[in-house]
Amino acid sequence: MNKNKNISGFKTPENYFEDFDALLFSKIDEVNLPKSAGFKIPENYFGNLDKKVFKSVKNSEKPTKVISLFPKKYFGYAASIAACLIIGFAVFNSTRENENLDALQMAAIENYIEEGNLNLDFYDVTTFINDEDIANLDLGKQRFSEASLKNYLLENMDENTLIDE
Amino acid sequence: MVEEKELVTALQTEADKESAFRELVSQYKERLYWQIRNMVLDHDDADDVLQNTFIKIFRNINSFKGESKLHTWMYRIAANESITFLNKKAKRNNISIDNVKDNAVRKLESDVYFEGDQIQLQFQKAIATLPERQRLIFTMKYFEDHTFEKLSEILETSVGGLKSSYHIAVKKITEFIKTQDETL
Repeated sequence: MNKNKNISGFKTPENYFEDFDALLFSKIDEVNLPKSAGFKIPENYFGNLDKKVFKSVKNSEKPTKVISLFPKKYFGYAASIAACLIIGFAVFNSTRENENLDALQMAAIENYIEEGNLNLDFYDVTTFINDEDIANLDLGKQRFSEASLKNYLLENMDENTLIDE
Repeated sequence: MVEEKELVTALQTEADKESAFRELVSQYKERLYWQIRNMVLDHDDADDVLQNTFIKIFRNINSFKGESKLHTWMYRIAANESITFLNKKAKRNNISIDNVKDNAVRKLESDVYFEGDQIQLQFQKAIATLPERQRLIFTMKYFEDHTFEKLSEILETSVGGLKSSYHIAVKKITEFIKTQDETL
């Protein structure tokens, strides 16, 4: 390098020259793509949208009315019979049945969630968790076997996820 | 236009919540609609997802802590709602997510709310071949002209990762169009 060369003091962002070619060619490719998507909307859609959104928000707040399948007067009899059956069942069937019941419930819950019936997402879940709960999460102690981790990554990762991360 | 900070305060105050929400809907409905429409393609589907997005915003506004900007948070909810909608549609019809996208693009040919020509239709077909996240990055950058820095905040991904993903998307799209042109 020429020792007499004056140094400007400028810097470039990290990986600027490594990424430059790729970004330049993507810009060149972009020029040939259509500028709009070609979608249109019904007439006055946005004009009426506010009202529609408010109606949806209000409806989502209303508790759903539950229509009883059986008249209330039979509930007392039904509850007594059910209680007798449960107590009898609990007395004559010990822990093994309880374990089966727990396993069955867990499987049913898992199926229910897997079938997409549980209408909860990240935002709903976060409303039930506070900062203290998050601090108490001890993720470091969780253990996954290397084989199951490998399987999971093979099934769920693609090249884009790797690039994104 | 009400400043974002004031809007958040009003949204989190019970007495002002409704009027602030009206302001919020009027400010963001079009931007969120187009982000969603570019993902789900069909107008009626976009309308459903947009309403769900606003319902979610309304319900969760009290848990918004201001760690990101309000509009960034809303764009993120719209993006998640769009992807959740496509996944649910696939599950409901017992088909893959690729089939959902193929069907949506095929429907565009007879869609009264699509006025694109053959080139734009080809373009939509090409976009539909991208994986969800890449499609989201491409459409948000290309059609809505978000900067990579803004996208990085919305999608919580590094700028470098977004640039690579976008570049790969453009490459895939141009190659798809080229291949289709050659077979015609």
